[in-house]
Order: sequence, then C-alpha cells, then structure tokens
Amino acid sequence: MFNINKLSIWHSFIFLVATIFLIPILIIGGSIFLGFSDNFYHLYENLLFEYSFNSIALVFGVSCLVTIIGVTTAWLVTFFNFSGKNFFQWALILPLAVPPYLLAYVFTEFFDYSGTANNFLRSLLSTESDIVFFPNIRTIYGAIAIFSFTLYPYVYMVSRVALMNIQPSLIEASKLLGRNSISTFFYLLIPIIRPAIIAGVSLVAMETLSDFGAVQHFAIPTFTTGIFRTWTGLYDLNTALQLSTILIIVIFCFFAIEKNSRNKIRYDNSTTSKNSYKPIHLKKFQNVAAFLVCLIPVFIGFFLPVLELINWSIQVENIFSPKAAIAASNTLYVSVIATILICFITLITNFTVRSFGMSQLINDILSLGYAVPGLILAVGITKMFTSLDSLLINFNTFITGSILGLILAYIIKTYAISNNVLNSAYTSIPISLDESAKTLGTEKISLLKTIHIPMLKTGLITAFLLVIAELIKELPATLILRPFNFDTLAVSVYLLASEERMFEAAFPGLMIIIFGLIPIYFLNKLILRENG
Amino acid sequence: MKISKLLLLALLLLPVAVIFFINDGNSNTLESPDEVVNVYTSRHYDADEYLYEEFTKETGIKVNIISGKGSALIERLKAEGVNSPGDVLFTVDAGNLANFQNQGFLQQINSEKIKEVVPKELRGENNEWVAVAKRARVIFYNPELVTESEIKDINYEDLKNEIWDGRIVIRSSSNMYNQSLVASLISNLGIEQTENWAKKLVENFARKPQGNDRSQIMALANKEASIAIANTYYIGIMLSGKGGEEQLAAAKKVKIAFPNQKNRGAHINISGGGILKHAPNKENAEKFLEFLLSEKAQTHIVNNTFEYPVLSTVKPHPIINNFGEFKMDKTSVADFGKFNPDAVKLMDRVNWQ
Amino acid sequence: MDRTNKFLDVKNIHLSFDNKDLEIIILRNLNLKVKEGDFVAITGASGSGKTSLLRAICGLETPNEGQIILDNSIIFNKEVSIPTEKRNIGLVIQEKVLFPHMNTRQNIEFGISKSKNRSELSSDIMKKLKIQKLSEKYPHQLSGGESQRVALARSIVMRPKLLLLDEPFSGLDTELKTTIYPAIKTILEENNITCLMVTHDLEEVKALADKLLKLESGKLLEI
Repeated sequence: MFNINKLSIWHSFIFLVATIFLIPILIIGGSIFLGFSDNFYHLYENLLFEYSFNSIALVFGVSCLVTIIGVTTAWLVTFFNFSGKNFFQWALILPLAVPPYLLAYVFTEFFDYSGTANNFLRSLLSTESDIVFFPNIRTIYGAIAIFSFTLYPYVYMVSRVALMNIQPSLIEASKLLGRNSISTFFYLLIPIIRPAIIAGVSLVAMETLSDFGAVQHFAIPTFTTGIFRTWTGLYDLNTALQLSTILIIVIFCFFAIEKNSRNKIRYDNSTTSKNSYKPIHLKKFQNVAAFLVCLIPVFIGFFLPVLELINWSIQVENIFSPKAAIAASNTLYVSVIATILICFITLITNFTVRSFGMSQLINDILSLGYAVPGLILAVGITKMFTSLDSLLINFNTFITGSILGLILAYIIKTYAISNNVLNSAYTSIPISLDESAKTLGTEKISLLKTIHIPMLKTGLITAFLLVIAELIKELPATLILRPFNFDTLAVSVYLLASEERMFEAAFPGLMIIIFGLIPIYFLNKLILRENG
Repeated sequence: MKISKLLLLALLLLPVAVIFFINDGNSNTLESPDEVVNVYTSRHYDADEYLYEEFTKETGIKVNIISGKGSALIERLKAEGVNSPGDVLFTVDAGNLANFQNQGFLQQINSEKIKEVVPKELRGENNEWVAVAKRARVIFYNPELVTESEIKDINYEDLKNEIWDGRIVIRSSSNMYNQSLVASLISNLGIEQTENWAKKLVENFARKPQGNDRSQIMALANKEASIAIANTYYIGIMLSGKGGEEQLAAAKKVKIAFPNQKNRGAHINISGGGILKHAPNKENAEKFLEFLLSEKAQTHIVNNTFEYPVLSTVKPHPIINNFGEFKMDKTSVADFGKFNPDAVKLMDRVNWQ
Repeated sequence: MDRTNKFLDVKNIHLSFDNKDLEIIILRNLNLKVKEGDFVAITGASGSGKTSLLRAICGLETPNEGQIILDNSIIFNKEVSIPTEKRNIGLVIQEKVLFPHMNTRQNIEFGISKSKNRSELSSDIMKKLKIQKLSEKYPHQLSGGESQRVALARSIVMRPKLLLLDEPFSGLDTELKTTIYPAIKTILEENNITCLMVTHDLEEVKALADKLLKLESGKLLEI
C-alpha cells in the first residue's frame, strides 16, 4: 500500500478521504479515554443492563423471524409454481421501501384504541362498545414483529440468489436418493445456503441495533435511545459517545460475521451449468398454503402500511402543504449531492486500487462506516466539527450545524453499499483489457474515462440507486445533524409522529416509500437479469 | 500529459468545491443590512410565526429564526463561539433555560420594563432569562373512574398511595416537563422523600410510559387509566378542535384537578427567553423580549398555544379559564434547572422509563 | 415368465419440447423392455436423447406421451407421474454432484438415513468400492475417480430397483476403470439390481453389459 514511487494525486486524495472517514469513528472510540463522568456510572448502575437485555432480545427475536420468513419465501418462489408466484417473486422485496420507524408509527396508530384494526373488528361484530381486541403493540414483541416484517427482504434476497445458484443436479440427486422437497430443503438446501443466510441475518441484526425511531416510539430502552437521551436530555456528549462505543463493538462483530460469510458464499457456490431447476407445480391445499405464506409478509410489511397511509392522507385537509414540498426537495437535494459524491469517491478508489496497485484494504477501511449506526455517527461528527470549529473560528466560519455534517454522515454510511456494487462491477472487466489498453499507449485517466466508465455504466447507476434509496429513509443522523430549518421527509414524519399527529405524517411517509420504491424496482430487475 | 493531470486535479477537487459552495450558507453572514434580531428557538409551535411577523410590523426589525432541539442549539452556540450571531433564545421549560445559562450562553437582562412584568420566581437568579408564558402540569382524570372523595384536594404526593395502583399514566422520564416536576419536588421535599414517592408512583403506572401528553389524555378517555399527568395547554388544543375530532371527543371526557391547592400550589413551568451572550443586536433582543411580554403578544400566545399569560392584565383563553383559578406554586422555576441532574438520576434509579 | 421380462417396461414414449415455433422431438415412439437383473448398455450419437431417456425414466423429465412400468407398478402414464423421490431409481451422472457440506460417509448415508443399520451399510459399500479411507473426507478433497466411486456408492447403497448410469466413468483413466468394473458388476449382481447405462466406450460395454442398444432418431435399436 505504501510505495512511495507510486504515490500520486490519486493516492493522496484517497488517503484524505479515508482520514476524514475515520476521524468520527476514532473520536467515538477515543471518548473512552477521556474519563467517565458521573452520568456514565449512573447509567452503568441503573440502565445498562436493561439496554443490553432489550437489544439482545430484539436481535435474537428478529433474527429468528426473518430467517423463517426470508428463507421460506425464497424457497417457495424459487422451486415451485403456485398462484401469484410471479407477483411474489419481486413483491417480496417491497417492504424494504418501508423504513422500520415508519412501520412502527403506522402500526401503533393502526392497533390503537380507535385505530383501524379495532374499529374494523367492532363493526364486523356490530358492537358499539369500546372493547379493545388487540393488545398493546408497543412492546418488545411488537418491535420484533416490526423489524422482522421490514427487514426480512434482506434475507429473502440473499437466500433467493443463493438458491438460484445451486446446481439443479444437486437437488435432483437428493430427490433420487429418496428425499422429498421438504426434506431436501432442510437437509440439503439450508446447509448449502447457510453462509448466505448468515450474511443476510447479520445485516438485519446491524439494522435492528442501529434503529432509533422505532424503538423510541415503542418506548423500548435500548442503546440507541439511551445514547440519544444522554445527549439531548442530560446534555452529556461524552457519555453518549462512550455508550456509542459499546454499541459499535457489538455491531462490528455482526459486520465481521457478515463479511466472513459473504466471502464463503463466493467460494463455495459456483455453478457451471446455467440450467435452472424446473419448478414444481403446487395444487389445492399446497397452492393455497404457499400463496398465503408469501402473501402475509408482503401484506404486513408493505400493502397494509401503504393502504393505511393513503387512508390517512386523504383525511387531512391540505396534504400538498408547502411544508411537505419543502421537506421533499430538501430530501432530494441532500441525498442527490451525497450520492453523487459517494459514487465519485468509490469510483476513484476502486480505480486506484485496480490501476495503481493500492491494497484492497482501503475498501475495507472505508466500508467500516456502514457498521456505525447513523445516530452514533452523527454524535461523533458533531464532536469532530465542534473541535474543528475552534480552529476555523479564525477564518470567521464554522461548520457545525451546516449541511456538511449531514453529507459527511451520509457518505460514511453508504460507502459500503456503492463499493459492493462497483467493486464487483469492476471485477467483470478483465485486467487484460487494461493491459492491452496500456500497450496501445492509453494514459491512466483516459483508461478510466474511455474504457472503464462506459463499461461500468450499469454498476454506477445501480450504486446510485441503492445509495439514494438508503439515504432517503435515513432518520437518526439526519435528525441530529441537519441544519436548522432543514427538515427532510424522514424528519418530518418523526416529528409529527412523536406528537401523535400521525395523519399529517401520512403523506410525507408515503413519499418516503415512493422514493424508496424506484430503486427497488431497478434492483429487482438487475438481480433477476444477472441470475438468468 | 500536463493538461490531463490538471484535469484530474480539477476533477478531484470538484467535491471539495461543491462542499464549500454549500457551506457558504453557514458563515456568519446571517444578517441583512437592515435591522435584525436573530432568534434561536426550540419551540415548535406554528403559532409563533405570527409573533415574529407582528414584531417586524411594529418595529421594522426583521426576525431571523434558527429552530432546533435544545441540544442542537447548544452545540451550535458552542461552535459559533464569540462570533455567534444569535441574539435571543426562546424555548420551553425552565430546565432547558437553566442548561443554557449554566453553559454560559446567556447574559443578564437589564430592562426594567421586563423586570416589572415578570415576577421574581419566574426569572433566572440573575435575570439571565425570563418567563414569557406559563403552563401548569396538573392531574387530569376520567370522572367515570374516579370518585369525588378520591380527587378532592389531591396532592402530587398522594399519587404514591396504593389506591392509585394501576390507574396512573404519564409520559416518559426522558421528557423535560417530567424532569422539572420531579426537580420541583426535590426542591420542596428533598431527594430521599421524592425518590420514595417516585418509586411508588412508578408501581402505580397503568402502562409503560409511552407517547406524549396528549397520549396520556387519550388513554384516560379510553379508560386505560383513571388519572394522567399532563400540561394544561394540551387540553386547550384538544378542546379547541385543533387536534381533530378524535381528540376533541376524548378531551370532553376528562376533567382537571389542580394539585396541592391546600399547600404550595400546582406545579408551574414556563416558556421563556433570554439574551444570548454575544448578541450582536442586543437592543433588538431586548425589544423582542419586551414585545413577547406586550399585551398583543401575550394575547396571541394564550389564544393559540393555550398557555397562561405572564402579563397580569391578560386573561387566559376561555377554554382554559373555564377550569377556574388555582393556586400556582411559587417555587422558583430556576430550581428546576438546579435540580435537574438529580431528578434525572432519581428517575432512572426508580426505573421510570 | 412374462413378468421378469418386463421388469422395466417403457412404452411409446414421446418426448419433445417447443422452441419458439418449432417442436423439437427428442424421443419418438420409444419402446424398451429390460429383464430384471439385466445390465443394458445404450449408445448413440451425441444429442440423440440418451440422457433425456434416462431422465424420463427416473422422473426428472416428463414425457409428453407414453407409459413406464417398473416392477409391475405404473410410474408414469397419462394420469399419473410418481415423483422422483418415490420411484426408488438411482442415477449416477458424469457431473460431480456430491453434497459439498457433507463428508463421504454422510453423502453415502443420505439416502438411507432412516435405516437403523446405515453405518454398517455404508461401511460395507465403501469397502466394496475401496473407498473406506475417504470416509471422513469432503468432496472438494476428492479426485475425479474418487468422487465417482462415492457417487456410485451413494446410489447403490439404497438398493434401488433400477440403476441408471449416464457415462459415469468417462474422464477416469483406464487403469482405474479396469479396477472398478468388476467391483460394480459384482455388487449389482449380488443385489439383483437392474442397470441401464449410457456410454460411448465399447470396452465398458464388453466388461459390464449383457445387451447393447442404440438410440437413433428417437428410437432404440438392438445391436
């Protein structure tokens, strides 16, 4: 990595970027060395256990549930034909467009005393009384359900791709040895795709632990709510950072597991034949069962919240308020800028790795940011900026509270996503191409411009779409780092929901989902195209 | 070769350029050449817009607003340092005001006019801030579930009694209003007694703290609990219909009981303002605060946010007034800030979530 | 008499598929009768449909028309098609299809997991095919010849009624082949397993088969 001869502008640029990326993380970790305040001991004695217990329970419950939902639906959709299979194939991903906090808000209202669910059952049973049929959803069980129904698509997608990549002859061998479909599923398929499942579940675990909006709304004390509370309530930034460190360590474990598993996938599963397994036709009872199993997650995770949000929006007087429009334009403004920047940085970095022999390690380092929850990143960046500002004050400017902080957070968080795409897109361009170009006298920049970029077009577009989908949903970092009077759609929803003004939050919520759908549509197409 | 290197350099500097272009909006050039006052506020009431507009109409001074959560405002003030363009701090809850005060962001208010209007117990110890409006944190109850004898002459302290087991709802301890309530109890009763009270209170909860004050009142209407603790202005909003049909119906089902009428009075908290330490437009800041205490502003406040006025010549909104006069606790609201850290830790110790 | 003559009775099999507007016929009016315990070899040009025939017999492909009877039960006709896992027919192909997450013993025992004496059965077959030493090894550690022997062991240990072999020995060196042939032949005879083998290798046919058929233009002809 450190060959002085080869150091150039490219390298310097990347080192600069890497440094900027790492500073917030180092600041967060460094807080441990700054001594523990009273508050920390207080938290330690009274709340830390609860935070840990709740976080563990959440992760455990969600992991189990998303595995069941994700793997089963992937299996059904890959190996069987049943009513609605073509629809479910892509529809099962839809819940990704609904961020967990949004589903939490919707469901709270939905199952509320005077919410749709209870009203519906009351009218069904023609009763005037005030019976409440549904238990309080704001419990840890409710939270587990919420996360499971919005995050299972991760497990679904990886499982589906893994299953599609299994040689049909393996499955046939199992059948020939007397195992039926279900036995094949448990004894052959699941063990083979286990690395994929683990990778997907690790991702889900990271998302669950990072969430702030949903757990706060459900009044479940976890690390994220504790960190938020410590800073905004106790005004103790340092203790908040220290709590953050603990959470980051845990999340990093999952991050490592996910990466490890993903490497295993590539190693184990290479299929030579492009034959896909002929799906088995399901009839009658099995057909209905398969249909329902696929319908339920999509319905709960997507259609139900969307319908309910539409229902609420039309009951509000002026949904096209200027406020909503401003929030939307703010969201687009900051997301687009950040996305363009990150795609640019990712491209340059991967190019430098490829053409200048820079170690792949740089990609791993830059990808670390993904594992840092938005909330924590925001707190770290705040500290970083306020420290920087003590220098910048001499230049009559300051950066705390500017949009820089938000953009920085966005970039750090999403490098991993764009890198995943561009890195593998780059591997499909053979090195020999570069070499022949070199022998024809092509300069490095032209190589990038005239050869790489055109070939990477699909990859760049995919990266752009995936990153922007992620950013539009982002809540905790935006909440903390946004400049004053700068609300995004996510922030608007959060503020309105915490005031129990859910009806007014419905339209911005819908807009988040709509924006989130566009990339999902393309993502789905690309997955299916690349896998026959 | 050279040209392409230059091109490359330009390309790499592009993001940096973009960033600085965006950051331009953040340098210390908030003011326009005309008279301005820069208000940092953490109040999120739409009704405040009118106040700013009226102020400009009356004085010709333009009002620039920076709004955000208290902690964000503090970080911003820290970052801005001596060059901060902020003139006025406008926020709710004395605890919050005390925080800004403790970190040295406020300066003394010297206006005699202001000191005349605002009684001592509603100001900072050294007039670092003043109240602009009041709210009481009182007991709401569902008359169908509570007998007259239970609610008569009730005190906050009584809420620890066993008869209230499973009948109380209140929002989370992370909310400043609750913290100030507990702080005021600490101020009056001491830590030990307050902790004892809080412990038993938590055991009487009908449900885990969730939602905001309005939620608690709704819970009463749904008969999930018998009594709730919430701020007076919420019932104003709900009864006015501004919160929607459902909230209006719910509000009609509950009544208010003012606690501690036979002793110190019901717990009062404030919306307040102060002048920021490095205010470049100090005079305008003072004018703005004076305006907030003027009859016009006070009338607007009581009629829109349903708070109680500080100016004695202004009456509360009829809806609020209907609940009658009551004795207000004269504990210095500055104590809320003083005892806030103790309050928070106490609430954590008794597991008030 | 009639019964054992038609242990495997394949009648009028028609197998085709549509490629856009063209119907491509693979098997046309194909008939085949195999005696119980027989070892029949099938040869033919590449693409003549030999593999499809085997796949149709064991249920991995569904013919458009025809009937297949095995040991007096109908496993395929117009109304019914017994799923592969219930046909008790083994298939060993050229491609490596050992389960990657299982070692040799586990692979072999996969089909007989319900049997109480499965470890004896697997040890026995491993001994016969001389692969006991590979018992704990994983597929990626095995050579081509070793993998094929494990695949054979895996199918044979199930005592299938019918064993189908699709060029399982091509790609192995001659010396290895000559060691395996007698072992296979013995095991099949011992267990009275009827066998159908697709091959190009005439030496193989001589060593193992009782009968040779040729698949041409979708039909089988005797040689």
